[in-house]
Order: sequence, then structure tokens, then C-alpha cells
Amino acid sequence: MRSPAAVRAHDVWFTYGSPPSAGWVLRGISLEVPQGCFWAILGPSGAGKTTLVKILAGLLTPHRGEVEVLGLPIEQGRIPQHLRQKIGYIPQQLGLVRGLTALENVLLGSLGRNTGLLPVLGLFPKADVKRAMEYLELLGIAHKAHEKVFRLSGGERQRVAIARTLLQGPKVIFADEFVSDLDLLRAGQIIETMRHFVKRDGITFLLNLHEIQLVQEFADEFLILKEGTIVYQGEARSLTMSLFQEVLEYHGESSPSCAVGALGNRVDL
Amino acid sequence: MKALRRESIVYGALLLLLALVLGQLGFFDPTRLSRGVVNLITFSKDMIPPDVTILPLAGRALFETVQMAFAGTFLGFLLSLPLGILGTRTLFPPPFVLTVRVIVGVIRTIPSLLWAVLFVIVVGLGPLAGTLALAFYTVGYLAKLYAEFFEGVDPEIVEAAKGVGANRLHLARFVIWPESANSVLSQLLFMFEYNIRASAILGFVGAGGIGFYMQAYLNTLSYQRLATLLMMIFALVLAMDLLSTWIRKRYLPTT
Repeated sequence: MRSPAAVRAHDVWFTYGSPPSAGWVLRGISLEVPQGCFWAILGPSGAGKTTLVKILAGLLTPHRGEVEVLGLPIEQGRIPQHLRQKIGYIPQQLGLVRGLTALENVLLGSLGRNTGLLPVLGLFPKADVKRAMEYLELLGIAHKAHEKVFRLSGGERQRVAIARTLLQGPKVIFADEFVSDLDLLRAGQIIETMRHFVKRDGITFLLNLHEIQLVQEFADEFLILKEGTIVYQGEARSLTMSLFQEVLEYHGESSPSCAVGALGNRVDL
Repeated sequence: MKALRRESIVYGALLLLLALVLGQLGFFDPTRLSRGVVNLITFSKDMIPPDVTILPLAGRALFETVQMAFAGTFLGFLLSLPLGILGTRTLFPPPFVLTVRVIVGVIRTIPSLLWAVLFVIVVGLGPLAGTLALAFYTVGYLAKLYAEFFEGVDPEIVEAAKGVGANRLHLARFVIWPESANSVLSQLLFMFEYNIRASAILGFVGAGGIGFYMQAYLNTLSYQRLATLLMMIFALVLAMDLLSTWIRKRYLPTT
């Protein structure tokens, strides 16, 4: 009953050092995210969540294994421009340019389309400016459009980052714990807004998320990553704190290579 | 404890080296030093009172000095921006960046006075040579610093912009520039202050400005006139320092 996969990884291995002397950060990750689904990636810090998201977004190259997004292979530096535009990425610290205004930051999302000299002079197509303003409006920060980003609050910055990614017009969005600086209530509001947009436009959404309540409430499916392997995968509704802890404890005692779900197969406990 | 002992050995060795070098340079020669003090007093007496009849002439020369510093700094700055961008590893491949940095490094090895001598030979006596000399010296210094500033921009911001498919020109304009503008302009002011001081002596080799008169008055032992020049330079440098401090405070908040 599932639509075709939007994101596919097969046996992905990665280390920041030179293999095999340095330890592996990711050890044989395989996953398949169906189109239009919202997946959350959970796991203790140091589990490799950020690295995984960067690899899927094509910002890092795995040492072994393949990654496909929207059916096309991803390799760093060799992503065709039309595919690049379809992949949205929100880093942990958002990656906003502090000295530019909110609107200017949102317009950066259109740079993949507007490659000429005009944007360099600050001239963006009217249609893009209009859409950027619409997104800021929908996100409730249109009145801050001309404020420099360094004057905005944490929650406002998150909204700017979301608007920038949406203006890009992606089919897949990867986000790296970008709400972790907010309190639970605000983080929930942001994730809910994000869910609204990705569901409306059929965008596939992969998010690193700490807060179990938020995963349970808003995500479709979740993965638990530990020491570079996927140790559990399940429906978000079924996630509870005790389940999360049990999984982590169970896999603390066994070898990671024996992990359940390591090959991306759904395991219902 | 071991680290501490090693530290004190290093400091001791450095002090010993300093003493040796000072000895070789004549610092421990009491007759020369005492003679020096006497000379200094005579020289100072000869400078009083300063001869202010040369003020109009010196004023024009000083103005030329400021013009040279302004034009040289600005030209050097305009060249340093693209060179700095080309020397940024986050934007360009390593072999390319290395080539740019070697070129900038070679420019930097030549002091401004030597550039002035070269340009006097190339374009003749006068402020044009001095301006070119300052421009080149500025490039050697600023291009290296700017490349370092540009590389210091938070990689996450660069990554996010690369992620939307922005090209290098966009990255330079929308990420690198707004993120580093404050430090870039602050260093530009510093460079201008430095070039004001440097351009005052370029006239020694005939490259324009007030230095020409300084040398002439030195050679003819006209110390009263020289005193006027020195005071003018002192006033100018002080004024420029105050101005740039004010600009920094007003426009370049350190955040």
C-alpha cells in the first residue's frame, strides 16, 4: 500500500577519519522512506544522527553504500542542479545569515533557480518576493520581514529557516534537530506548522528529534539510531518513553551488528 | 611539574637570546649610549622653535600624503576583496586557493618602501608611484586577512546556502560578505591608519607626499622646519586614529 520511496539508503558506512583505523560513525545504515511521509530519527547524542542526515542530503559522501533521493543517486559535489533544488536542508543552528533581513534570508531559498547576476544586485523576481512574503505571512512573522535576523528570537528564526526551505520548493526536507533550542510548547508549534506544510505539498520530511512527545504526536514513523546503526523502527504512535529506554538498554548489551531493523525492515515488537 | 620546568627553560633561553642579540647590536656600549643622550638633547634644542613659515608648503604636501593613503588603501581594498574570495578554501578547490595565496604571499614579502622604489623606477617620481606602492602593500596584507575572515564564516551557514543550490557568486554576496563585513571594514580602517603613517615616509625615495620635505630638511640640517613637519604628522595621525575609533564605535559594533 506504500507509495514509492523518496529516500533510499543501502548499507551506508561513514567515518570522519580515514578508515579503517578511525571508528565508524555509521555502520551499515539502510532505510527507505516512502514519499510524503514524516519520519523522525531518535537516538542518544553521538549516535550519528547529524551525520546520517547530512549524508542523505548529499552534504557528506559515505565511504561505502549508496544513497538515492527521488530515485536519483546522491554523491557530494555531483548532484545535478534540478535535484539539488528538490532537496531542502535545515541545519541544527539553522544556517541563517545574521546580517541579512528575514525576507532576504527567505529569498536565499530561491537562489537555485535565480542563478543570474540580478539577485547579486538584490533584485529577485517579483513572484519569488511575493511567495516569500506569503510564507512569512503564513508562519506569522510577516511583520518582521525587514528585521535583521540577529534581532529575531529563537522561534522567529526557526520560522525564517522554514520559509527559506519552503521557498526552495523541495520534494524532500532533511532537518537536523532544528527545534532543540526551544521549549517543548514552541517546538511543538514549529513541528506542527512544518507538518502542515509538508503534508499539504506532499513533501517527504526527515527530522532528527529529541523530544519523544513531539515524535509521537506529529511524526508518521520513527527510527532509533545507536552507535551508527538503526536499532529500532516503528510507527510513531507506538513510541513511548519506556519503549525508547528499553530499546537503548537492550542494545547497550548486545553487539550493534545484531541490531533489529538494521536492514531497514520494519520490526513490530 | 615537568611541563612547568620545560616552560621555565624556554623562557630562560629566550631571555638569554635577547641579551646576546642586544649585546651584538651595541646596547651594552656605555660610551655610545651616553653620547647618544647628548646628541638627542642638542637635536631637540635645534628644533626649537619650529619654523612655521613653511606651513602652506607643508600643508600641501601633507594633503598629498593623505590623498596617497586614501587612494592606495582604497585601490588595494578593491583588489583584496576578489583575491580574498579566490583564496577561500570553502569556495574554491585547494590547488587554486594555494596558487592565489602564494601570489599574495609574494606581494606581502615586499615592504611598502621597496614597492615605492620600484614604482618610482617604473612610473617616475611623484605621488603616483607612492599610491601604487601603498596599493600593492595593502593587497599583500588585506587579501591574506580577508581570505582568513571569509574562511572563518560559520560552515553551517555556507552549507545551508550550498544546499539550496547557490553558486559561488551568491555565496560570496549573501553569506560570506554579510557574515564578515564588520571585520573586513574594521581591518580596512586599520590599514588606512597604517598607510597614513607609511605614506609620510614614501617621499624619502621620491614617491610623493611630505616625506620628500622631511628628507630635504634632514639633509640640510633645517631642524626647525623638520620640527614643524613632525608636529603636523603627529596631529594628522592622531586625528585619523580618533576618526577611525569613532567610526568603529558608531558603525562597527563588535557582535
